[in-house]
Amino acid sequence: MIYPGLQDRMVKNMAKNNERSHKAQVVLERFEKKLNRQIVGSLVACVHCGNCTDCCHYVLANPGDTTFAPAYKADQIRKIFKRHFDWTGRVLPWWVKAKSVYTDEDLENLKDIVFGKCTNCRRCSINCPMGVDYATFNRMARGLLVSVGIMPEGVAVVSKDQWEIGNQMGVLKEDYIETLEWLSEELEMEMNDPEAVIPIDKEDVDIVYTINPREIKYDPRTISDAARIFYQARESWTMPSDGWDMTNFGLFSGDDDLGGAVAGRVYEATRKLRGKKLVMSECGHGYRSTRCEGPNWAKDDIDFEMESSVITMLDYVKSGRIKIDKSKNDSSYTFHDSCNNARSCGLFDEPRELLQLAVDDFREMYPNRAENYCCTGGGGAMSMSEYSARRLKSAKVKADQLKATGAKYVVTSCHNCVDGLTDVIKHYKLDMQVTQLVNLVANALVEERRGIPVPEIPVEVKPAVSLSGKKILVTDDEPDFLTFLTAVLEDNGASVLTASNGDEAIRLALAEKPDLITLDLSMPGKSGIETFEILRKDDDTTSIPVCIITGKPEMRRLIYERAVIPPEGYVDKPVDEEGILVNVRKTLELVHKK
Amino acid sequence: MADEIRIGQRAIRLKNSDITDMEVECFVYYARSDLKLGAGYGGAIAVRGGPQIQKTLDEMAPIGPCEAVITDAGELKAKYIIHANGPKFQEEDAESKLKTTILNALRLADDKGIRQLALPTMGTGFYGIPLDRSADVSLNTVKNYLQNDTGIEEIIFCAIDSREYLPFRTQLDKMA
Repeated sequence: MIYPGLQDRMVKNMAKNNERSHKAQVVLERFEKKLNRQIVGSLVACVHCGNCTDCCHYVLANPGDTTFAPAYKADQIRKIFKRHFDWTGRVLPWWVKAKSVYTDEDLENLKDIVFGKCTNCRRCSINCPMGVDYATFNRMARGLLVSVGIMPEGVAVVSKDQWEIGNQMGVLKEDYIETLEWLSEELEMEMNDPEAVIPIDKEDVDIVYTINPREIKYDPRTISDAARIFYQARESWTMPSDGWDMTNFGLFSGDDDLGGAVAGRVYEATRKLRGKKLVMSECGHGYRSTRCEGPNWAKDDIDFEMESSVITMLDYVKSGRIKIDKSKNDSSYTFHDSCNNARSCGLFDEPRELLQLAVDDFREMYPNRAENYCCTGGGGAMSMSEYSARRLKSAKVKADQLKATGAKYVVTSCHNCVDGLTDVIKHYKLDMQVTQLVNLVANALVEERRGIPVPEIPVEVKPAVSLSGKKILVTDDEPDFLTFLTAVLEDNGASVLTASNGDEAIRLALAEKPDLITLDLSMPGKSGIETFEILRKDDDTTSIPVCIITGKPEMRRLIYERAVIPPEGYVDKPVDEEGILVNVRKTLELVHKK
Repeated sequence: MADEIRIGQRAIRLKNSDITDMEVECFVYYARSDLKLGAGYGGAIAVRGGPQIQKTLDEMAPIGPCEAVITDAGELKAKYIIHANGPKFQEEDAESKLKTTILNALRLADDKGIRQLALPTMGTGFYGIPLDRSADVSLNTVKNYLQNDTGIEEIIFCAIDSREYLPFRTQLDKMA
């Protein structure tokens, strides 16, 4: 053990002798290489006017804590710049508060600021009278730390997945293909038309459609909805088997090499399929990364069109390629601008235009467009569970904004915002749900194209895997939900075991070896996460598929910081009968195919 | 441009493939000192190969810098996995450590009587070793090793995309 006093003296001696840890030295060397006019301009221009302070949702939620102020956070990076790269700091460091980094602990402290106290939303950047773009050099500082291995665990997991598996959620190729095939079969059955399919790796198409891996893993309905729209529009389209993840964790982690690698794979897939246009599903950071930043990171001179699916859908509606009946979306809706779409890419009028074509009751949120507040889950914050409490506290301003609209639905063109807003709504107990434009457009579709005429009543889709004969263990501490879940599964032929806590679930899993376990995460005693990890680590239960059914954000840990294989299924509460059955069947079907 | 060179009866090949899904006798995983499989290729090994691999590793952990251990590959298409703890994140003397790591992996493969071994683009990507440096060190180390007495007949370098593939092919060309 090193006593605190001794450690202080050691650090002071290191400073005196200009000794540095290897990591601190590498950070300084790489810092110099990152300096360009844009970064230096932002580092020297701040006059500490305080204009940025009122723009930051962290400050607004923590008014007494100056360490959240953008100018303060920027100064923690700026002082290093001054000490090493600005003559004022080299000559008079005490005068301009210049200070270097010496130890790994200094770097850890910097990590807490650049990852844990900013979502890189750029609201302070656009409100700075001096043009200081704090978010840009905050991202640079993240990249410096990542290069020496200092980053939140969730950032490391997601980055490694995207480097090596090719998508940020580690979805294996066989699972991606199987899910698309499953969705395609459902669409074909629903439309009763062999042309109603999700084409994979079809060449010479007009559109190559790329998505967020969250859609494959936790929200496949958005893919089905997009496919239904493409089908009605008689679009020539495909999804690539590689290079399909248009999200890019390089934007969040500050790693330009990762940014280039990921964007490059998407561009390569588009060229390989000879697609005329690359269309990205609704994802703010994915759009910014692929459409705006990617060509620079990948050093690629793009020779095809790129657009957000929002633009594609809007064109379909305005040109009459699809018809929509807005009366089918009969609730009240507001729109949340993703920071990356609105502030960084200027994409804010088109989604509003489309939304107003798809719904009757649209209610604007204030402030909006480039001045909108972050969902608080941006900048990779959803993957950093150590900062969840801080994130949700900072979301007070967002919650107030949402509540003031009085809308029942908040619409957003960003998957990250879907997760961020879902957490905010649950945390602040707001009476609203999150949805996306693709869901609303698909719901309002006037189906002019079908295989053969069918009645307008919904066609019951025969399940690919029957629940008959399946033994399912359901775990939840809410008696009403347990009863509901049991009734739904038993009505569909399953044999159901119930557990109201983690210990009981583990005991029953070992004794009964069910075909599937559903697991609530938030339970008294042993939590769902602990229970899940015990089940996964036990030889006798490790291969039993688990479908998480939760209304809590702890799920993020299982997605982003997994010490064990992630759960096979995930359902977000509140959930209806259809939602349960679709997800349970999908989980069983994927396991069955394996 | 070459994607294969021969050293006597032995061969070094380059492929564009997911290393964890290859039909090969053994492949190298760029491991951590605590031998936790973690994310990326580690996650793929855990999912495709089954839980036994991590259990075996837990009994061997931790390992030192540049050291390597071998396990069965569970339900993967490969038979064995060599888990090699290479340098990470701008570590000091990264290139010499990378060479030592590769040599330790090759010796371990020889000890096990392995004839066909696949390697990833060692230390690149997440761990930050530049592709051209990894290609230079890896291919030269392997080439020199195959020129000596060894039972290894084929070594395959696996690139996950063209960004990884091209620098390795350029280096292979220089050596052809």
